[in-house]
Amino acid sequence: MTQRMKRTRSQHDFVPLADDSLIICRCEEITQGEIRKAVYDGMSTMNEVKRYLRAGMGLCQGQTCSHLVQNIIAGELGVPPGEVETHLSRSPVRPIQMIELAQDGGEK
Amino acid sequence: MKRYELIVIGAGPAGLSAAIEAASHGMPVIVFDENPRPGGQLFKQIHKFFGSKEHRAKERGFRIGRQLLEEARRMGVEVMLQATVLGIYDGKEVSVMRDGQVEHFKANNIIIATGASEKMVPFSGWTLPGVIGAGAAQTMMNLHGLKPGNKVLMVGSGNVGVVVGYQLMQAGCKIEAVIDGAPRVGGYGVHAAKLARLGVPFYLSHTIKEAKGKICVEGATIVKVDSTWQAIPGSEKVLDVDTICIAVGLSPMSQLARTAHCDMENNAGKGGLVSICNEYGETSTPGVYAVGDVAGIEEASSAMIQGKIAGVAVSHSRGYLDTADFNNQVAQHQRSLKQLRQGMFGHREKGQNDPTQTEEGYPLSRTLLERGYLAEEELQNYPGVRFQKGQGVRPVVECTQNIPCNPCQDACKRGCITVSGKITNLPAVDEAVECTGCGMCVVSCPGQAIFLVDDTLAPGYSGVSIPYEFSPLPAEGSKGLALDRSGRVLGEVEVTTVKQSRVMDETAILTMKVPGDWSMKVRSFQPY
Repeated sequence: MTQRMKRTRSQHDFVPLADDSLIICRCEEITQGEIRKAVYDGMSTMNEVKRYLRAGMGLCQGQTCSHLVQNIIAGELGVPPGEVETHLSRSPVRPIQMIELAQDGGEK
Repeated sequence: MKRYELIVIGAGPAGLSAAIEAASHGMPVIVFDENPRPGGQLFKQIHKFFGSKEHRAKERGFRIGRQLLEEARRMGVEVMLQATVLGIYDGKEVSVMRDGQVEHFKANNIIIATGASEKMVPFSGWTLPGVIGAGAAQTMMNLHGLKPGNKVLMVGSGNVGVVVGYQLMQAGCKIEAVIDGAPRVGGYGVHAAKLARLGVPFYLSHTIKEAKGKICVEGATIVKVDSTWQAIPGSEKVLDVDTICIAVGLSPMSQLARTAHCDMENNAGKGGLVSICNEYGETSTPGVYAVGDVAGIEEASSAMIQGKIAGVAVSHSRGYLDTADFNNQVAQHQRSLKQLRQGMFGHREKGQNDPTQTEEGYPLSRTLLERGYLAEEELQNYPGVRFQKGQGVRPVVECTQNIPCNPCQDACKRGCITVSGKITNLPAVDEAVECTGCGMCVVSCPGQAIFLVDDTLAPGYSGVSIPYEFSPLPAEGSKGLALDRSGRVLGEVEVTTVKQSRVMDETAILTMKVPGDWSMKVRSFQPY
């Protein structure tokens, strides 16, 4: 419920910035403007932005852009970066081919 | 499924040290590393490390790496390479991808030592080829023998920036500038001074605005920032560079700790998201440890000690080590770790506002902090500079900041140099001890801050001996340019002797014959 409250709180209007075309997530080519706009669309956590835009879902799995994305979200929400809920980290933590994953024998 | 007493993830300095320690107490240990070669970042570290003898100070990083691998082999540690750990599951099970297959392993304890990755700073053009991480530049040069570029802008003046900057110069690149958003040099002054005396300018309170170029970097625009980090319009400078090296910090690769459900914290001082660990490196998940950069960004030397402590702790927890030995060894390692964390660059002081003096009350050099070199008139403030005009050969120790390091005091067999009390204290030169001019102190200093000066070389001439790590070595009798601490050319000089021996570990001592009044000015040599 608290999450929903946050999402519907009133915000000032989205104001484009001169450097909005800057690429932040290199793997998925997501720009600063897209991430900023996502916050105005109601995304306030790293997971939400990731699922909404795919920022951090590419080859490096967010190793490079996570803290940049976090800073941008924090800036738009007006909170310290540490307060932005970080995204989940799950296995596999490194990119892996589907065939390899499918052949995972697990407990043998 | 194969079971081990201990699984270590990452074969860098922390992971290998942990594995060696645990294996030395009889534990069956396996180490996984995703890279084709073990050693982590150690094999890229061609510079000499700081610290004391027990921290392997004045040894080059890659040699420490070789020793660790040798020790691991001797202790029977199994190291599995190109083995990528994908996740840690309940019951301390890990899945590992190797040769296109996923295998599972179980252990009673897991030590995560996955290290860190480089942080980036976005700016216009930052995705152009030619913008690279400083660590990547180091990999290209020192592992693959490739020159990353010709004219380089280094963004970031922390130790990574200044150390890699110097190595780029050694590889034959030209560093056009080192910039930093902060108003002072972030790394050790001695590292900055090595670059400054080669003529590299430092632009503090500057940030990068833009990488120029269409298909690759063809230049860079830097801009001055005010105290709130806002760019000051009109202060732009365009630099002619083909490479932009980013050294703005490291970020812990802590994903695996999170798959193990460890409690995490966002800790800016530690570089980002890290697991919360106790004094032995154990996370909130019992039996899962995190050591080295993944637990908080520090140096390789402290990573190795953290690894040893975790290795001792798991050995004790599984009954391979009795409690008395455990307590003794932990206490010893923690003392050693505490030493390394002292000083103005240490753990606690990180981000400290603006120190004006050392712990012992010596004034800190402002020019060193703001321009990367010591001003001649500041030298007399320090206990390592006791040289009087007209004296015969003497060491001049231009060591002015509290860095935990003391190899210089063991270098002189006559006891001319002492670091008394704390390891971070500044070395003092004893004027009463006669110097033989052997130069062992010069090559022992990882910061290359010790020089020999001799005002009695010949009438009207002085000898200045400097550490020299560029190839090719100038021939004795050859001529070149003498430079001062700021890299300013003073004039032509002759190289009288070039000394090199095995104990100097590739650091040559180059002695120049300089006009008498330059003896306290000349600190660098540039061959024609």
